[in-house]
Amino acid sequence: MSQLIRLIYKSRNLLLFIILEILSFWLLVKNNGYWEVSFFNTSNYYAAKTLESSNYIKNYMNLGDVNQQLATENAKLHQQLVAMQQLIGNRPKDAYKIDSIYATRFEFKVAKVINNTVSLTDNYITIDKGSADGVEKGMGVICPQGVVGIVKSCNDHMSIVTSILHSNFQVSSEVHNQTLRKNNDKALGIGKWNGANPRIINLTTIDRFKPIKTGDSVTTSEQNSVFPTNIMVGKIRKQGTKPDQPFYDIEVELSTDFPNLTYVYIVNNKLKKEQDLLEENNTQTKQ
Amino acid sequence: MNSQQVIKLSLTLVIYLILQIFILRNFVLANVAFCLVYVACILLLPNEINTSIVLVISFVIGLLVDIFYNTAGLHASATVLLGFSRSTVIKYLFPTKGLDTEVVISLRDMGAERFIRYIAILTLAHHTVLFFIEAGNFDLFLITIVKIICSVLFTTVMIFLIQYLRRD
Repeated sequence: MSQLIRLIYKSRNLLLFIILEILSFWLLVKNNGYWEVSFFNTSNYYAAKTLESSNYIKNYMNLGDVNQQLATENAKLHQQLVAMQQLIGNRPKDAYKIDSIYATRFEFKVAKVINNTVSLTDNYITIDKGSADGVEKGMGVICPQGVVGIVKSCNDHMSIVTSILHSNFQVSSEVHNQTLRKNNDKALGIGKWNGANPRIINLTTIDRFKPIKTGDSVTTSEQNSVFPTNIMVGKIRKQGTKPDQPFYDIEVELSTDFPNLTYVYIVNNKLKKEQDLLEENNTQTKQ
Repeated sequence: MNSQQVIKLSLTLVIYLILQIFILRNFVLANVAFCLVYVACILLLPNEINTSIVLVISFVIGLLVDIFYNTAGLHASATVLLGFSRSTVIKYLFPTKGLDTEVVISLRDMGAERFIRYIAILTLAHHTVLFFIEAGNFDLFLITIVKIICSVLFTTVMIFLIQYLRRD
């Protein structure tokens, strides 16, 4: 017995090392699965407050850029408003009517970015709005230039957002150009980051016979319940095909400037729960 | 260790942590060169400290950094490994002949060349573990290697500069 105790005492460093490593990996695995260990990330109150104060100065330096972004967005909104008003005038009366609840299902909230990474394999953004402001898990996040990500977890005053620059994130997107519009055709694909450059994502599952060119714009498609339709994702930078593949290999240059992200909008789809419930019931009855 | 040394050491740890969390956290060159100077907190601990205490300090510092990087466990695991391999590397790099002198870990006592060698080797070990765990698999092998090499260079130069400035 005393020999055993002596052995344990002799290898106490190794044992401590193993215990601490196991603890770290447990945190790592648990952290990747879900965010119940919310103390060890920036949604922790004290960590968030510290970051907020360090971002205070940075915000002043960004003011010029932010102004520019807001002005651009204002101009765009104005243009869209005018276009809408034009459309209302000549819409056929008995055609498809948009339900007013459906049309106004999206609600926007402004939030400020207080922590942001772009260089890791899985990147997250911390924002200064939490469940007290009505933010919930699963809401979409966009910025004036384009899509940003999805809310992953929140506490009372902070939320963590999975950005597009994450190895498991996918965004359903659509390519727009003149030819497609004329043929009344659609080119839907899935956008996914490859982990290398924070300005480029890959677009897959687009049929190689669709007429697609470099420079075409890519937006979110109608087939998702998180983001509104036609939110900018980016512009096609490079496209090619491999002889044995049915799909294009497309590189999209993101329109969102992730390294300098300052203000974002949280998108609340008020009908998302209803849609999810309906789709869930449907899959259950199939089984 | 007397109380004056303890205070001086804790001050060093606090300086490096503040530097890492507030300033160098957002400081990434060309998306590949990270500056993780907080490893100096463990590297600069005196040689005579018990390895068990070094391990606990490593874990706490790693976890603190993790909180601000949103990566619970990642930095902690790499830093604990660093704390564990530290004494072995010191023994291997600076073999003491007999009982005469213990190695004192500081830029002034070791000289620039030995100091840089010591820092670079342990930083390389730390960053290799860190970036491969972070990548999660070997799919991004090349970019991970590039990240490791650039970050080791960046971190080593940075720690050397900081120690050089406060050598007196």
